[in-house]
Amino acid sequence: MAQAEKAMPFRGSKLNRTPEINAGALATRTVNSLPLRRADFACLADALDYAALGDTGANFYSGRGKLAAVLPYRALREKALVLARRLLSLSLERGARVAIVAETNPDFLRFFFACQYAGLVPVALPAAVNLGGHDAYVVRLRGLLLGCGASAAMASTQFHRFLREAAEGVDLAFVGTPAAFDELPERDVSLKRSGPAETAYLQYTSGSTSFPRGVVIKQEAVMSNLFGVVNHSLDVQPDDRCVSWLPFYHDMGLVGCMLAPMATQRSIDYIDTRDFAMRPRRWLELMTSTRASISFSPPFGYDLCARRIRSEDVGRYDLSAWRIAGIGAEPIRAELPDRFAKLLAPAGFNPRAFVPCYGMAESSLAISFSPVRQGVIVDWIDADYLAEHLRAIPAGPKTGRVNGFVRCGAPLPGHEVAIRDDQGNALPDLHVGRIKVRGPSVMSGYFAQPEQTRQALSPDGWLDTGDIGYRVDGSVVVTGRHKDMIIINGRNIWPQDIEHIAERQPGLRPMDASAFFVLGQDDEEVAVVVVQCNISDAAECHQLTQTLHREIQGELGITCLIELVPRHTLPRTSSGKLSRAAAREDYLRRREQERLGAQASTDRISYFEQRDRTAALGR
Amino acid sequence: MLEYPEILATLSAELKSSTQGRVPITEDTDLLSELNLDSLQVMNLLLHVEDHFDISIPVSILAGVKTVRDLAQQIEKLGHKG
Repeated sequence: MAQAEKAMPFRGSKLNRTPEINAGALATRTVNSLPLRRADFACLADALDYAALGDTGANFYSGRGKLAAVLPYRALREKALVLARRLLSLSLERGARVAIVAETNPDFLRFFFACQYAGLVPVALPAAVNLGGHDAYVVRLRGLLLGCGASAAMASTQFHRFLREAAEGVDLAFVGTPAAFDELPERDVSLKRSGPAETAYLQYTSGSTSFPRGVVIKQEAVMSNLFGVVNHSLDVQPDDRCVSWLPFYHDMGLVGCMLAPMATQRSIDYIDTRDFAMRPRRWLELMTSTRASISFSPPFGYDLCARRIRSEDVGRYDLSAWRIAGIGAEPIRAELPDRFAKLLAPAGFNPRAFVPCYGMAESSLAISFSPVRQGVIVDWIDADYLAEHLRAIPAGPKTGRVNGFVRCGAPLPGHEVAIRDDQGNALPDLHVGRIKVRGPSVMSGYFAQPEQTRQALSPDGWLDTGDIGYRVDGSVVVTGRHKDMIIINGRNIWPQDIEHIAERQPGLRPMDASAFFVLGQDDEEVAVVVVQCNISDAAECHQLTQTLHREIQGELGITCLIELVPRHTLPRTSSGKLSRAAAREDYLRRREQERLGAQASTDRISYFEQRDRTAALGR
Repeated sequence: MLEYPEILATLSAELKSSTQGRVPITEDTDLLSELNLDSLQVMNLLLHVEDHFDISIPVSILAGVKTVRDLAQQIEKLGHKG
């Protein structure tokens, strides 16, 4: 399949106008006329060539639930081939990066696959801007453009003004809207697709926004991951259909919910991420109306949905076709799947549809998957014993504190997972240590960051996931994650980004801020930043707090509790660095003292009800 | 056509109820530093506005919004375009 395409005759521009919305168009069908092939292709372009022979494709829905655009794989391939020639008119070198502000629309797929056919490397950039976040978003986009050395960049009319601003002074061959790209001439060349040993795409990790890292994924890596996921893990069937609201700049959204359906010739129905955040019940309505069988979400999505469903709504849903409810990408609170399943049982949701999984962009997507039709298995572990001895023993009737951890299944075939102690020694089952993974899905490295790459990837191919966990019965269990990371509404927030915002304020210096999370009323994570300063004037304090609220919201899209303390309050380690863990303990102690001192303003205090899980995370 | 006074009144009412009247809402109220709305609260606010006026608010217009007035003006502009 991997031969070069013949140069195609010039096509009328009418054909290339996107997004193409046909009034009264129907969504692509579920059952394909084409025999199912489960991702056994050498590269993504080969996979699309095959999918284009059938009748399935991607469908895009508006916030109000109307079908807004239909993109059969057949049309996607045709459009991508035309656009590939237009991109090549820019004389980009092979493997050049094409940055795409990744909204959930047909243009993202068209540009992504044009790159595949042209031998270019697509890079999805976030299409998410916060209230008052103009400047912060522009700075972030600029960092991402520079970080991947982009040669061309695309954004829709909606996002183009930010992109244009971000690209000022950056050396790019072309920046434009899809319509502007469609004005480029088609270069009359035979296309040479991105082959197995070439880079398939660059994926920015959900890491720090100040220090972005682009994961380099080769065709053979992503194809190996897709093959493992759709055969071994999901056992994709000819009548499967998918629904997704995950953004394409997220690994689960891109690989799990765009590439996997395409590589198995499945139809998928998309809702925009913002529309989901606004109207989470749309997810279940779409699952009902399309009779979809596969949908993935981080725990955050199930939680948001469960909170918004009214009991009188449940009867309107029919989720009996939902056979795989993937759940992963962040720690899974043990009680959540059960709560969701109970709530939706009257709608035919099967609790055994839950498929807990574990993965990360550095491993293309998936590392391990629970078996389908098994449901969620929770290990109830003695939390104190775990914290003290780094060993998972089952909780008994006399156990004081209990932690529930969800088993995330066995590694994909051909992949090894090892648990190592700090000295790098392999640990037996039930011992908690660093989770390392090795296998064909692992990234080649971080783009243009040899030092970061060396830290993450050993010479013999082991990826340090940064997560902590143990093995049991062949399953991987994640008990903790990247040290210090904060997760709010499903997004990873890095403490250094919050600290950075504080420390750049006038009168403040580096090491004047320490950020971490505490658990809120419903056990959700709440970001806290403790700032040390010499301000005693109440008005000035108020001013600083307001500025911090505004800038943290604008840049990171979260609210953050802010505590101002006198200089020299923040604890340091023996090497003189700030210790976030110690700052957090001090903070919680102060709140505890406040609570004991004055039993007033109860609701605020109960916010800090201490349920300290750090110890149990093995930190 | 959306009228500014009506937009303002809707926004104010919605903000008053979501902040339980803790902060007085005026046109100059800063949505971030004074009301401290997080991204899900912003989504909720937009949801109510969209449903009330039967419009669709593109996320990109939020980038330049700081005060209640900014938001009301952006929504007013959408009405003119529609």
